[in-house]
Amino acid sequence: MSSLLEIEDLRVTFNTRYGEVTALDSVSLQVNEGETLGVVGESGCGKSITALSVMGLIPMPPGRVAGGAIRLNGEDLTQASERRMQALRGGEMAMIFQEPMTSLNPVFTVGAQIAEAIMLHQNVDRSQAMRRAVALLDRVGIPSPDQRARDYPHQLSGGMRQRVMIAMAVSCRPKVLIADEPTTALDVTVQAQIFDLLNEIQREYGSAIILITHDMGAISEMADRVAVMYAGRVIEEARADDVLDFPQHPYARGLISCIPALGKRDGGATDMLAEIPGVVPPLHLLGAGCAFADRCAARAPRCELEKPHLFAHGHHPVACHAVEEGRL
Amino acid sequence: MLSKATAKQAEFQAESPALEAWRMFRRNIPALIGVVMLSVIILATLYGTFFYAGDPFDIVWAPQEPPGMTPEFPLGTDYLGRDIIAGLLTGGGPTLAVGSAAAAITMGIGITMGALAGYYGGWIDNLLMRITEFFQVLPALLFAMVLVTLFSPSLLTIAMAIGLVSWPQTARLTRAEFLKIKQLEYVTAARAIGARNRRIIWKVILPNALPPLIVSATLTVGVAILFEAGLSFLGLGDPNVMSWGRMIGANRDILDAWWPVTFPGLAIFFTVFSVSLIGDGLNDAFNPKLRER
Repeated sequence: MSSLLEIEDLRVTFNTRYGEVTALDSVSLQVNEGETLGVVGESGCGKSITALSVMGLIPMPPGRVAGGAIRLNGEDLTQASERRMQALRGGEMAMIFQEPMTSLNPVFTVGAQIAEAIMLHQNVDRSQAMRRAVALLDRVGIPSPDQRARDYPHQLSGGMRQRVMIAMAVSCRPKVLIADEPTTALDVTVQAQIFDLLNEIQREYGSAIILITHDMGAISEMADRVAVMYAGRVIEEARADDVLDFPQHPYARGLISCIPALGKRDGGATDMLAEIPGVVPPLHLLGAGCAFADRCAARAPRCELEKPHLFAHGHHPVACHAVEEGRL
Repeated sequence: MLSKATAKQAEFQAESPALEAWRMFRRNIPALIGVVMLSVIILATLYGTFFYAGDPFDIVWAPQEPPGMTPEFPLGTDYLGRDIIAGLLTGGGPTLAVGSAAAAITMGIGITMGALAGYYGGWIDNLLMRITEFFQVLPALLFAMVLVTLFSPSLLTIAMAIGLVSWPQTARLTRAEFLKIKQLEYVTAARAIGARNRRIIWKVILPNALPPLIVSATLTVGVAILFEAGLSFLGLGDPNVMSWGRMIGANRDILDAWWPVTFPGLAIFFTVFSVSLIGDGLNDAFNPKLRER
C-alpha cells in the first residue's frame, strides 16, 4: 500500500557564499492518513526545510530540489506547476507555523483572514466564508467566536493566535497538516491544549500530521512514528515508543537522555542536565564521513570516512556504523 | 471588579489599526491645526466664488491698487488691474487639483514600480531600479519643463509631468518596505494557504507598507503644489487657468508692488504648511514607537 504522502530520496541544495550546500540529503519519509509523523532534531537539522519542501515554499533561488520526489496521492509535487501547488497549498495540505505572533497579518481581523483562506479554495461568497470562519473559530475552542472574529491579531494571546492559525490551516480539511514547532513559542499549559486540539482535529478530519519539533515530550504525546534528523539526513526512524524507549543512534540516545526528568534524583547532589557536546556542524563543512562523528562517543575511523546509510536493524532502521557493527 | 474587566475588554475590542492611528492623530494638536487650515483653504477655493463673484482675468480697476485703498477690492489689484481676491479664490482650485493629481500619479507609478521590484527581486528588481535611477538623476524641474513644453501646457500635462519626475522617491521607499515585509512570516503563511503572487503583493504586503507611503503621499502633495507654482512662475502654466503660481509669475517684474505676489505666496505657504503638518501627524500616528505617549 502506498502512503498518502511519500518523500523519496529528496535532495535539496542551497547556493550560498560557501558554494552549493546540501540541506537535505536523500531524505525519505512517508505518512499515512490519520497518522502523525514526528520529525525531531536540533536546530539546523533540516526539519523545517523538509516541511517547506513539501509545501513548495523553498525560496528558489537560492534553493533547489536537486533530486528525489515528494508524492501526494501519487502526484509528484517536485514536478508540479506553481498553479497546481497554489491549489494544493491550503487545500490538500496546510501548514502551521512556529510563531503565532508573526504569522498572522496584523492589519486584518482574524475572521477576515480565515475567510480569505476559505475563499481561495472554495466557491463561496464573503458572508458565507465569514460564517464558516466563525464556526471554525468555535471548533478550535475560541470562546465567543463571533466577537473574536472581529479582533485583530495583536488583541489575542499567543495560544489564541495559534488556535486561529490552526483554524486557518484546517479550513479546507487538508489531507496533510504540517505543524512546524507549533508550540515552541507557547506556555507549557497552552502547549498541551494545542496538542489536544491537533489530536481532535486529526480524529475528526483523518488528516495526516507531520509534527516538527525538538520537544521529545511533544513526540511522546502526539506521534505514531518518529524520524530523527541530523544535518539534513534521516538517521533513525521508528514507532514513537520504540525510539523513545530503545533509541539506537548515538544522537537519538543523546536526545532522549537530554529530557530532564522531574523528581528523579538519585544521589544527594543535584543532577546535571544531560547534553550532547558540540553543535550541528555547518552544512558547508560536512565531510565524507558521518556528520555526527565529531560529537560521537562511539566514533571509529570508519565513521570519518564513510557516510552511514539507513539499514534495517533489530528494532528499526538506523544510520550508524557503530550500531551496524554491534559496537553499541 | 468583573465589570471593570469587561469594560476594559470592551475598550480593547474593535480597535483596528486605522482607528488606533486616528485616535493618535486626534491628540496631535499641530496636525489638527493642519486639518483645519487645509479644510478652510479647500472650502474657500470650492465655494468662495459664491460669496465673492469675479473673473480673475477681468480688468476691473486701475493697475497696482494697493490693498485697503478701495473697499471693493480689499487686497488690491495686480499689474493689469485684475482683482487679487478673485485670483486667490479661483486660482486655489487648479493649484490643489494639480497638486493632488500629481501626487496620485507619483504614488501610482512609484508604488507599482517599488512593489514589483521589491517583491520579485532578481532581474526584475535590477531592471526596474535602473529605470528608477535613470529618472532620479534627471534634474526634476528641467525635465518637467521639457515635458510641459513638449505636450502644450494644460492642467493634465502639468500634473503628469510633475508625477513623472517625482515617483522615484516613492518607488525606493516602497521597494524598501517590500524587501522588509516580504521576509515576515505572515507572508510565508499567506503562501502556505495558497495565495498567489498578485494577491500577496496587493492584499498582504501593501496594506502593511501603507503607513510610510501615506505620509510620503501627503508630503508629495506639498512638493507638487510648489512644483506647479514653479512651472507657472516660469510661464509654463496652463494659459487658460488662473493659479497661484501663475499670479506670482505674472507679477514678478513689478518690484514696487509687494501685494500681487505676497498674497498668492502666502496661500501656497499655508497650503503646503498644512499638508506637511498633516503628513507629520500621520507619521506620528502610524509610528508604533510613539503610541505609548
